[in-house]
Amino acid sequence: MMDISEPSTRRGFLDWLIAACSSVAGAALVIPGLVYLWPAAKGGAAENVEVEGASDMSPGQARTIQIAGKAVIVVRKRSEYRAFLAACTHLGCLVTWDSSRNEFLCPCHAAVFDENGEVVSGPPPSPLPRYQIKEVGGKVYVSAA
Amino acid sequence: MGLGRQIESFLDDRFDTETARGFVDKQAHKRLPPNTGWFHVFGSLSLLLFVSQTITGILLLIYYRPTPEAAHESIQYITAEVYFGWLYRQIHAWGGTLMILAVVFHMVRTYFWGAYKKPRELTWVTGVLIFIGTITFGFTGYLLPWNQLAFWATTVGTESANKVPLIGSWLQYFLRGGDAVTGETLSRFFVVHVIILPWLFTGLVVVHLILMRLNNLATFERVGEEKPSPPEYGIPFFPVHVAKEGVVVVLLLAVLVTLSVLVPWEIGEPADPLSTPAHIKPEWYFLPSYQLLKYFEGPYGAIIGIFACSLPFFLLFLWPFLDRGKERHPKRRPLAVGFGLLGLLGALFLGYLGHISETEQTFFGKRYYIDLLGRPNEIVDDAGTSESKAH
Repeated sequence: MMDISEPSTRRGFLDWLIAACSSVAGAALVIPGLVYLWPAAKGGAAENVEVEGASDMSPGQARTIQIAGKAVIVVRKRSEYRAFLAACTHLGCLVTWDSSRNEFLCPCHAAVFDENGEVVSGPPPSPLPRYQIKEVGGKVYVSAA
Repeated sequence: MGLGRQIESFLDDRFDTETARGFVDKQAHKRLPPNTGWFHVFGSLSLLLFVSQTITGILLLIYYRPTPEAAHESIQYITAEVYFGWLYRQIHAWGGTLMILAVVFHMVRTYFWGAYKKPRELTWVTGVLIFIGTITFGFTGYLLPWNQLAFWATTVGTESANKVPLIGSWLQYFLRGGDAVTGETLSRFFVVHVIILPWLFTGLVVVHLILMRLNNLATFERVGEEKPSPPEYGIPFFPVHVAKEGVVVVLLLAVLVTLSVLVPWEIGEPADPLSTPAHIKPEWYFLPSYQLLKYFEGPYGAIIGIFACSLPFFLLFLWPFLDRGKERHPKRRPLAVGFGLLGLLGALFLGYLGHISETEQTFFGKRYYIDLLGRPNEIVDDAGTSESKAH
């Protein structure tokens, strides 16, 4: 049984108490500081963002726009529009649309994606994430899938 | 009584200046081992470059604006309008590159001289931290001009963080301050580059220097058998070694100014988050890791790649505790020297492959396209001959 009258034990307990209180006080100071460093979500809406001037795009043409801070490439096919995240799934470089080959090309490591965003060749580990397209009253809207 | 004497007497009346004077005297006249030569100046050279980077960095800070809208323009303003702004910008940019070189040379010398062994293990460990700090200075500073190359190199660099197992996506989000490289990233990199790193780095350098002075420089004597140099054999730190460092200072300043004038760093086009330029590559000191990562693809490959890129740094940290042999002289440490040479040549080879990858090169009169992985593919024209042969 612990003898609390023993000076060394009492001192030990006080040492422990001071260490515990200091740790709690330290954590109370440090944790908000660390949380402060975590980026707050921002970048605007990722739903139903209008593609400005989409009706002016001719078939085969592509345009890169920003949605909620991310680059999205919108391609006009003959009868529809398609939208994909433009960042290559390899290292994040932005793909461009090659209308003559019907393929997306990455300028960094020569990756190729087909018109559905599937990897044709190169190092990307996965397809380009697809965005949803809505056409309302002649206007084109893009939303994250 | 002259002003100097008056100040001295003022201080003598109030403090124990004798002890401080004795300390400085002892440090200045300390004898260095007889094998101390020109190879030992790389440490001072690194320190000198850090001082130069601090001074030029403070000068640049007066006009630099760390926002996406103003950063590139402020660099143009510094270069074109501010008196000697072009010079300080160039010295800062070249100084960063030379500092990494100086730190690498210093580490190479320490490694091959066996100077990391007992009792100097912690001096080596702080040195490795200084090396990592120097590279981080380069990485964070590279983004600050907010030009196309910087923006996309940082995008690719921070994308690599995503491949770290378990915490990759969090780490990338944290580093960028969001999903993509934006003004938030610029703010973060700016704070790390001009506030956090300089203070951490200064602390590390102070500890490194104290440890170095406490243990003095290493000789080639076996571990545990080092004898203090008698004064008649040792090299006086002052004035002999200091004179050598003076020569290095003059040469360094000459090299810095020459490079700044003859090979200036371009400002480049302002960053465009909606257009990636072709063939983005990182700075030379990241090329070995950049190339190595290419050989490991797929979900497991990426993890192995990150492990392969981190391994050299872990080995560097642990090396003094792994290599427990007592010999220091390189001729008596064939295994360690062979391992070091292999690592060094491997890094140089990978760096070179990274540099020439995705370009056309001519070797022995034939033109080759060097692919992503560094494999040469001969370029053959329609007639079935090598292009260069057709000319």
